[in-house]
Amino acid sequence: MERKSREYFVLTATAKMTIAAHAPVTRLAPNKGAGAIDPVYRQVRDLVYKVSGIYKAEEKLYLLADGCGRRMQQLGVRNPCEYWDHLTAHPTRDGELRQLLNEITIGETCMFRSQPQLDALRKVILPEIVADKAKQINKRLRIWSAGCSTGEESYTLAMNMLEERDRLLKGWTIEILATDLNDRSVETAKTGIYGDYALRNTTDYFKRKYFSAADDKKLQVSPELKKLITFSRLNLQDDSKMLFMKGMDLVFCCNVLIYFDGVSKSKVVNHFFSNLNLGGYFFLGTSESLMKLNDQFHLIHFPGTIAYWKPSLSSGKL
Amino acid sequence: MNTSVSSTIRDRVQHIETIPSIPAVFLPLLKLLGGSEGEVNVEEVVRLVSYDNSIAAQCLRVASSPLFGMVQAPKSIKGAVLTLGLRRVETILLTCCLGKAFPAKKWVLDPVVFWRHSLGCAMVCRRFSEKLAAADGEKAYMAGLLHDIGFMVNCLAFPREFGTAMERACREESPLHEAEQASMGFTHCETGQALAERWKLADDIIEVIAHHHAIEQSQKAQPLVALVHLSDLLCRMRGLGYGYYERHKVDLVSDPAWAILLQQHHDLEGVDLVRFTFELDEAVEEIHALVSTVFGGA
Repeated sequence: MERKSREYFVLTATAKMTIAAHAPVTRLAPNKGAGAIDPVYRQVRDLVYKVSGIYKAEEKLYLLADGCGRRMQQLGVRNPCEYWDHLTAHPTRDGELRQLLNEITIGETCMFRSQPQLDALRKVILPEIVADKAKQINKRLRIWSAGCSTGEESYTLAMNMLEERDRLLKGWTIEILATDLNDRSVETAKTGIYGDYALRNTTDYFKRKYFSAADDKKLQVSPELKKLITFSRLNLQDDSKMLFMKGMDLVFCCNVLIYFDGVSKSKVVNHFFSNLNLGGYFFLGTSESLMKLNDQFHLIHFPGTIAYWKPSLSSGKL
Repeated sequence: MNTSVSSTIRDRVQHIETIPSIPAVFLPLLKLLGGSEGEVNVEEVVRLVSYDNSIAAQCLRVASSPLFGMVQAPKSIKGAVLTLGLRRVETILLTCCLGKAFPAKKWVLDPVVFWRHSLGCAMVCRRFSEKLAAADGEKAYMAGLLHDIGFMVNCLAFPREFGTAMERACREESPLHEAEQASMGFTHCETGQALAERWKLADDIIEVIAHHHAIEQSQKAQPLVALVHLSDLLCRMRGLGYGYYERHKVDLVSDPAWAILLQQHHDLEGVDLVRFTFELDEAVEEIHALVSTVFGGA
């Protein structure tokens, strides 16, 4: 494991003394090599969490600081304290907060982005859904990748489901719906051609099994993967269309809700709750949370990840 | 557990070849470090630790490690306390103390994995307690640290049987206590209880060790047992488990332990569990590094 440089304040005190629970710790920003993280960024972290549910852990705080730095440069702001005023006291504070959220969530995506989510899906959730639906005649699994961007998450889900086709999901119909607001993203996703960056977490096993060579050193997803997914444009704020997205067993909506204000976010999350079958699961991005947007979902911990669960009838928790 | 299993455990614990003795400084040190309102007499800590040179030496070795990025290595326990902060020194000291009680070659379970879990659980217990006005954080820390000492007993008194249980848990990706029950007919809770009674630990700590997987059986310390139960679950879900994937999902708020804790601590309702989880992740890296350093990368 990477050991990050740390710096500890030296306490100067007499032997019999009152000592704080932890000596104050400051860390060097790993990508800067010098200079400690300004404590103001912890205030910014708390503010970002409060309004968006996104939490930047201590070791990722430098990413937040970098994002603030870029905004400060654009605004001509000289120091973090002044930027804090822009986020909290300035008339344009709401807009600035949105800009900052854009900065810290820049569309960095790839296949197999969160292995703990995929492990939870295949090792815990699928066996549970399969057992729940054991008595149904038409065995159908419906997954929705909401805000699918250029399709990396959708194809990752498709590959993982196909891996279970001869085992857990033998005889099942698998449907993956992948939607995004952006037409160009949806078109790129439909094309299914990816370069090294998008495939950096994809093992040779998956590359060999589900891809073929395209031009420019890129890889093209296989027809059987494409067959599993329906890509389309959808605005998550379009209530009438959201009402039709019924019967989902799983909804993935990673790093999308940050683009909504509080009221819209709550409305979208309530839609997701309705879209899910009883016993279905809702996944967010790895540092995102629902906070108090919906109190009907149950927070569930899996090894290394969390998800939200719509209780099933048999659970007795409705 | 039936009487014959119970007497077998007691018998084996009595006749372990090298009976683990709790280092003399351990309990007084715990008491001292748990001083009220964060006021701790550092001189007294230094005096106690210096009774056991090997523990003092190990503590300094760890405090000097690159983990803490000190410009100058501390030359004394007092120096370590002043520079690292009391809580880190406390963790180092207690780990060194308990690590000394159990010879490394006897382990079936990887000691690094075991200590990560125990220290992680201790830390989560304390952090949980900090959210609850009426909870005793230091008692909770101690309970978290010691809750799984039964695994140590298993390594010493039932190495073959425990080895089989461990293999089964890894193979089936099942919770370790379930694999123990299925393959040995008893768990680390019973063996831990036998050692804790022998060590004459406090009654509530014995309850935690004995019942953290079956809270309803706790008679005298249900809230503390519930706190450790929840912290244990959370650790196992956040990279501080037993070194293998557990096919397990945890709904902490629906767990009976949550309701038990809530009866005693109404402020539990206000705890933001997601944020608590994210904050825990911040500490995981440090615990990994600390334990690897204490055990010299064992």
